[in-house]
Amino acid sequence: MIECKKLSFSYLAGGGKKKYETIKNVSCRIKEGSFVLLCGVSGCGKTTLTRIFNGLIPHYHEGKLEGDAYIEGKNTKRLSLFDISLKVGSVFQNPRSQFFNVDTTSEVAFGPENHGMSESKIKQRVQQVCSQLDIEDLMDRSIFSLSGGEKQKIACGSAAAIDPDIYVLDEPSSNLDSCAVSDLRRLLEILKSCGKTVIISEHRLYYLADLIDRVIYMKDGKIEGDYTAQEFKAMPESQREVMGLRPLDLDVLKDTEHGIKAEAFSRWVISDMTFSYKYRPGILQIGKSILPAGKVTAVIGDNGAGKSTFSRCLCGLEKRCRGTVEYDGHVYSAKERLNICYMVMQDVNHQLFTENVEEEILLSMKNKNKKQIERLLEDMDLTELSECHPMGLSGGQKQRVAIASAIASEKPLIIFDEPTSGLDLFHMRKVANVVNEIADQGRTVLVVTHDPEFILRCCDHVIHLSAGRVYESYPLRDRRDRIRLLDFFMLK
Amino acid sequence: MAKELLASCRDGSSIILDPRTKLAVLITISIFILGGSYEGIMQYYIIILAFIPLILLLSSGKRKASVIYIVIFGGSLCLELFILSMLPSPVNYIAVTITGILLRFAPGIVMGYLLVTDTTVSEFMDAMDKLHMPRFITMPMSVMFRFFPTVAEEWSCIGDAMKMRGIGLGYRRAGHILEYRLVPMMICSVRIGEELSAAALTRGLGGPIKRTNVCDIGFHIQDIFILFVCAGAYVAQIYVLITRG
Repeated sequence: MIECKKLSFSYLAGGGKKKYETIKNVSCRIKEGSFVLLCGVSGCGKTTLTRIFNGLIPHYHEGKLEGDAYIEGKNTKRLSLFDISLKVGSVFQNPRSQFFNVDTTSEVAFGPENHGMSESKIKQRVQQVCSQLDIEDLMDRSIFSLSGGEKQKIACGSAAAIDPDIYVLDEPSSNLDSCAVSDLRRLLEILKSCGKTVIISEHRLYYLADLIDRVIYMKDGKIEGDYTAQEFKAMPESQREVMGLRPLDLDVLKDTEHGIKAEAFSRWVISDMTFSYKYRPGILQIGKSILPAGKVTAVIGDNGAGKSTFSRCLCGLEKRCRGTVEYDGHVYSAKERLNICYMVMQDVNHQLFTENVEEEILLSMKNKNKKQIERLLEDMDLTELSECHPMGLSGGQKQRVAIASAIASEKPLIIFDEPTSGLDLFHMRKVANVVNEIADQGRTVLVVTHDPEFILRCCDHVIHLSAGRVYESYPLRDRRDRIRLLDFFMLK
Repeated sequence: MAKELLASCRDGSSIILDPRTKLAVLITISIFILGGSYEGIMQYYIIILAFIPLILLLSSGKRKASVIYIVIFGGSLCLELFILSMLPSPVNYIAVTITGILLRFAPGIVMGYLLVTDTTVSEFMDAMDKLHMPRFITMPMSVMFRFFPTVAEEWSCIGDAMKMRGIGLGYRRAGHILEYRLVPMMICSVRIGEELSAAALTRGLGGPIKRTNVCDIGFHIQDIFILFVCAGAYVAQIYVLITRG
């Protein structure tokens, strides 16, 4: 059982002078064996609460903690992280940074090793966990060869190897495609059936609908709602929407429409694009594909279908990519494409270089124009931040800076790589609006995404990749097209 | 992503050596091939030593690398033995330098490469434990090995972003190029490092209990054979020193 009594926590920033409170006066009690969903918009304090449950607060993240949290009757302040790790297993959001070993078997054995279990017992335990969670086929593999979904499965396995009673997951599905989400769901189902307590903080709700026992809704650091599964499911979709939550059932998205853009005046023609990977099998082979200019095209497909590779080839980032791209009567080589494409990356930290926001935008501009910058800053809601260091901003603000730089570059093709992974409803819609505006300015946009709701809010055309080829390609015009799209995202 | 420093898995075909044996070979090669004086019988013994990395390369199926290694080492050896003395002096000077460098460095580099690519992290940690290396040295080292591939990944992502914005060779503000690459690099690395540590701590790393290790390393017949060959080098060197008087 977990119990919180009047918990408040503030992170210290700016050398301990500034502090910002993330949770305020939170009290709750979580029963053994229950499956609890923590939800709420970004910055509502979900992540902080999960960190309190797994002991990272107060033992790792610095800040001021008031009130007490108890795990099985013991105050977490008096337990060490080592003690807590026996009781609570954690899975984090970013699959790139939660593995300590480079091979899967050692990773699962890592926890038991740290706890000094004997060798024979560890081997037995690893076997047991693998068969229990159905991840035997992933053993003895390099972590770097796994897809995002497989990585999250190993992360669960690694947590389960210590055999804790409580599992805390912080947005585990953020980087996963629909297939991997189904896998994750199955795994959570197994944990639930073993009688474990599961606490999961998440934006995507649809895959959890049948698992949850209780929903805790947070807002501005406080618990604003505490529902049983029945109550939460009985809520009308519109109420969840007001709360800033993603839909519980993807079916409701069938009627999502967005403004119709001007008819395409020309198009991008991609022909005979081929690319073979250096380090892994499989090739990308796009015979012929068309992007309508001035519109938004979504690229969908499972992890490993070649979506990212396709976008990288299109940008001209892959030198060994063959094939041509034709636009406006001009055929562009890979090298030339670097000058006409701009990619907003999934991790925008990689593309913010300068000391302040204004300079960041200036860096992209060919013809420096003060007025234009001001207008752009205003459009992107960045005017007040123009003097700030881009790296000091929040995730959403950073993304807006990166998008502003993309717009400033005046390149005709803008590519977004997973722009909404881990965003709540409001922020996702904001990004969708921005994407629509970019297209309205006559630019062509390509979006690589796993987010069906986002696609329905801004995309006009869908390219579905599978195993490196175009599986199908269709416009999104009416309800039938939307159902076709949603079918791909449904739980399998 | 296939750039890895310490291997993550192996195919069963290669000769498996204890990491300590590999370390011993590396040290021996460094002493006698890289830093040796090639006196008396030593000039023949180094050829035997140079065979060890070749055998390991061949056994792990790296044919191309083996051929390159034979060409570089064998070629420069032949040059030094038979041809160099016949060359006119200015050419001779350059040739001696080049063959000398190739001859002396190639085996050590290959062995070092084998040590880091053919050893898993767990094996490495276990070997270090058995050598009684203190934890405060081996822990950060293993984190570092874990960290390199991730940093390499970040590095190439940032490089891509720079290319897309036309920052690269010929960029007019050349002084800023390094800054543009390093600032995001550092910030990303710090963040990843933090997340990695948090994840490791929630799995009980750094607890008061002595850590166990699942991989069982140990000396086998092939280790003993190779260690004998290495020991032979020291014996030969001592013999050379004694007979020289």
